[in-house]
Amino acid sequence: MFDFLQLVNNENMKIYRRVRTWIMLGILLVLTLSISLLTYIYSGNISPSMWDLMQIQSVMSIMLVTVFTVVIAAETVAGEFSTGTIKLLMIRPWSRSKILLSKYVSLLLFGLFFMAVIFVWTIVTNMLFFGYDASPIMGSDMSQLTYWLLNYGAEFITMIVIVTLAFLISTVFRSGGLAIGLSLFILLGGSIVTGIIRMLDYAWVDYLLFANLSLSEYILGDASSITGKPLGFTLGVLAGYYVLFIAITWTVFNRRDIAS
Amino acid sequence: MTSSSAPAGAHAALPNQEPVVRMQGVTKRIGKRTIIDNLTLDVPPGEVFGFLGPNGSGKTTTIRMMVGLMKLSQGEILIRNHSISRDYEKAIRHVGAIVENPEMYKYLTGYQNLLHFARMIPGITRQRIDEVVQLVGLNARIHDKVKTYSLGMRQRLGVAQAIMHKPSLLILDEPTNGLDPAGIRELRDYLRLLAIEEGITVFVSSHLLSEMELMCDRVAIIQSGKLIDVRPMRQQQMETDLSKVFFEVDQPQTALEVLEGTGAALEGNHVVFLGNRENIAACNAQLVQAGIKVYGIRQQIKTLEDQFLEVTGGERIV
Repeated sequence: MFDFLQLVNNENMKIYRRVRTWIMLGILLVLTLSISLLTYIYSGNISPSMWDLMQIQSVMSIMLVTVFTVVIAAETVAGEFSTGTIKLLMIRPWSRSKILLSKYVSLLLFGLFFMAVIFVWTIVTNMLFFGYDASPIMGSDMSQLTYWLLNYGAEFITMIVIVTLAFLISTVFRSGGLAIGLSLFILLGGSIVTGIIRMLDYAWVDYLLFANLSLSEYILGDASSITGKPLGFTLGVLAGYYVLFIAITWTVFNRRDIAS
Repeated sequence: MTSSSAPAGAHAALPNQEPVVRMQGVTKRIGKRTIIDNLTLDVPPGEVFGFLGPNGSGKTTTIRMMVGLMKLSQGEILIRNHSISRDYEKAIRHVGAIVENPEMYKYLTGYQNLLHFARMIPGITRQRIDEVVQLVGLNARIHDKVKTYSLGMRQRLGVAQAIMHKPSLLILDEPTNGLDPAGIRELRDYLRLLAIEEGITVFVSSHLLSEMELMCDRVAIIQSGKLIDVRPMRQQQMETDLSKVFFEVDQPQTALEVLEGTGAALEGNHVVFLGNRENIAACNAQLVQAGIKVYGIRQQIKTLEDQFLEVTGGERIV
């Protein structure tokens, strides 16, 4: 009916007007910077390339961005319930679906914003410390920049799935703690669980969410090291879970009586 | 309907005016329990309408259904002729509400909170926000974070967000909870002002009888999810209405003799009889003529509490 963007605007205000959001960003920037700085100070005569630290910095900071986005996802719905503000939020001329969508959009924007900042920050600071290096990645003619762009893109897709799960738990159980715990377990403990189940050698293991979260493998390879399946398979499984998560979230949110 | 064109005193509702809220057979079941049982109720425009019942009688549940937070198991709620279940966005457009406590985003300032809710309804200008802030008297603190506000200030901020879009129906759930006497008085005066000057219909719930008596034009009484009675308040006492009259005199026994034939009786030190205005004057004259000193005449007017006890058969409300 009228401007949906205003709803997203509201949700953004509730994210960025809080100090904790900026603390999160601060932690990310300081952490990656200090890795570069320490390497620069202690590298002695060896002069590392600007790309040498990318792997460790990216794994760490993408993990952190995912954790932070999961925290925001857990808070965005469950928080409105626990403070009671949900009651004032819902009694407006907007359908529940659209209000929930505005929350989801602002959440993805948050993840995208942090990913983009950390990507640019890591590359720029490393370049300032170690100088520009135009050589392609080892064993391929792909440029380092392209590789890392694809890597961040792939990780962003994985992050969307995890965050959507956190959003689901936040909405269905109205508990931020559970949402954070469970989705981080899947993110961090997933590979261990998959490893154990893999030993059983069942075909359905390949369809588990855990087994399909390392998309960045496909940038240089054709098959997953976990499932041995091609990219299309993994994307298909992820899409299946994604649709399921979204469907449950919206259905529950629309039907539920708000009585907190 | 009434919001812009209503003259002052619109609360004297004409019987043919369309009700602002129309509840028809509203029922809410949770599991096997029936929380609200077949509630049928019309709220006339421009009135302060009280919704009275003990704790746990279903007031808040009814209000939650009115604003769409809870779904109806059965029945229909129409707000300005729009169904809350089928045509939610249109029905809620003209409603302002505080459900239970006015919970705001504590990490935002009062102004940011208002801005937040203003963005959700078209046509609210910054000017209007300033106007409302002025109206509820929060100018000095509006740019402070809500976590620094007192309960009374939060209540006022709650009222501000509820009236910002000029609703034709204002729903307040237990608005006096936690307010000090001055705050309650302020709120009460303000609600009456809204109803009379702006023609806003106010639907207010409470478990406090005395509050309702002072605030409302009409009161619906609910108990255990059932509507027990709807009755107007501040009814003009009719010339012929009988009421219980207490005479405080120096010689009760003599007075009783003088008043023989009027059905007078002795209650403690008071002579008591049932009469209308003229009877009181006549009796007084008789007593004075008989040389009895009359120290005081007290007429007992039925309070809402008496009325309530009458309807519910003695079960206390609070």
